[in-house]
Amino acid sequence: MADIMIQSLLLSFMLLGIHAYFGLEIVRRGIIFTDIAVAQLSAAGLALSLLLFNEPSQLLSLAFALLGSLLVALSQRKREYSEAFIGLLYALGFSSVVLVLSRSPKGMEEFLRLTASDILFVPREEILKTGLLFLAFGVLLYLRRFIKNEVLREIHFFSLFALTVTTSVKLVGVLVVFSMLVAPALVSLIFGRGLIFAWIYGAILNTAGTLTSFWLDLPTGFFLVFIHAFVSALLFLAKVSLRV
Amino acid sequence: MRFLVLLVLLVSVSLADVRVVVTYPWIGDLVRKIGGDRVSIHVIAKGTEDPHFVVPKPSHIAKLRRADLLIIQGAYLEVGFLPPLLRQANNLKIQPGREGFLDLSNYVQLIEKPEVVSRAMGDVHPEGNPHYHLDPYNIPLLAEAVKEKLCKIDPDGCPLYEKNFEEFASRWRSKLIEWNREFSTLKGVRVIAYHSLFNYLLKRYGIVLAGTLEPLPGIPPTRSHIEKLLRLENVKIILVGVYNERRTARFLAERIGAKVVLLPHDVGSLPEVRDLFSLFDEILRRLKDG
Repeated sequence: MADIMIQSLLLSFMLLGIHAYFGLEIVRRGIIFTDIAVAQLSAAGLALSLLLFNEPSQLLSLAFALLGSLLVALSQRKREYSEAFIGLLYALGFSSVVLVLSRSPKGMEEFLRLTASDILFVPREEILKTGLLFLAFGVLLYLRRFIKNEVLREIHFFSLFALTVTTSVKLVGVLVVFSMLVAPALVSLIFGRGLIFAWIYGAILNTAGTLTSFWLDLPTGFFLVFIHAFVSALLFLAKVSLRV
Repeated sequence: MRFLVLLVLLVSVSLADVRVVVTYPWIGDLVRKIGGDRVSIHVIAKGTEDPHFVVPKPSHIAKLRRADLLIIQGAYLEVGFLPPLLRQANNLKIQPGREGFLDLSNYVQLIEKPEVVSRAMGDVHPEGNPHYHLDPYNIPLLAEAVKEKLCKIDPDGCPLYEKNFEEFASRWRSKLIEWNREFSTLKGVRVIAYHSLFNYLLKRYGIVLAGTLEPLPGIPPTRSHIEKLLRLENVKIILVGVYNERRTARFLAERIGAKVVLLPHDVGSLPEVRDLFSLFDEILRRLKDG
């Protein structure tokens, strides 16, 4: 069992590595539901492909995610309202899934099976592949500083974000991705720290969470979500009340 | 010295133990009835859960990894969680096609198989309805399949398995007479079901399925679907599984003067249902009350 535990840990570190980076930016801008909206639009693409071709198409799903990220990038022109807009995108994606599937022969069941994901499900080869992919995304993110045009920079950022989120949501589900994105970033920001702090903090929680879930035999993905949300909310409250 | 003897005894006892992993509680009960104390059983899903979706835990992988035998319901029911668990467990013995793998759906006649299997028609479910264990006539066939498999895996235990199987089968036969008598009083009764969970039972005893609440799994009813359901006459009972939401059923029941009846579908889905016998007893009791 140690190998499965190490795999889960490794995967959680990889997710943390790239999502904490995105998270800092996303939390700073206050558009934390971007990932859920993008993931939901990608799901809508998947549902549509089930209706049209009777089989899942990752390409269509990715196209929808990229379209979503483009819309989010556009919404940045009116920042004070962009979170409301992103919320609407999520609702749009979710309702589209149900509406589209109501016309498909098999309904929700097939779709839910296709989208079943869990941190325990991910095999080693997939982890390695994802690691390489995230590495490439990381390099591309680094190159962002050389883009001078503001609009292009935004599009670059949000497309990479969409690619990352669709990859990771497919592997571990939207909740785990959400907590890796938001929790370490939030704690790091309220304590006035940066990416390194978010990484260290997140890594400690990932390790504690994975070990505990294996020890107590709890669903690993949900336990990671729980511990990230719980500890981060606690730290947030502590910080806020100490200041008052 | 005595300690050594004890140790050797312990080792040989645990060697005789056949480690069986099953996906659902009713299969676990069947294996317990046939295998007795010679088998250790790990059940992946809980009776109260929707059988289509199981939240994976680390122990599922650990148990699969050490298993000698994996018994599944098949017919695509486990497709959402078992293939990845099996891959992670990396246990060659229990892979599909190997000796340590048993797909029980191969031993019964599945209903609702599409006549023409064509992807263009959207028949992505060519196997048919997977909830075949709710036909009590299927249980002895499945018990026999389990017995045969256990005999193959653990020939030393075969006489015990044979004996247990005979006992189980004869007890089942006498129960079946009682169930046949009682269920047949429900023949011709019209029911609506949440979805196709109880179709085998209904078909066996001539209970008429007038419609299903959901037009498709997971999709809420449309206007025309509800209108169709409201026009149904003489529907006495609306059947729901333990994991279905009940509001839609109650809504419809009020309007057409039917009663909502919650039925167990698996061992452990309700506290009264402790094994396969009490599963059918409880289904019968609830249907007759309804």
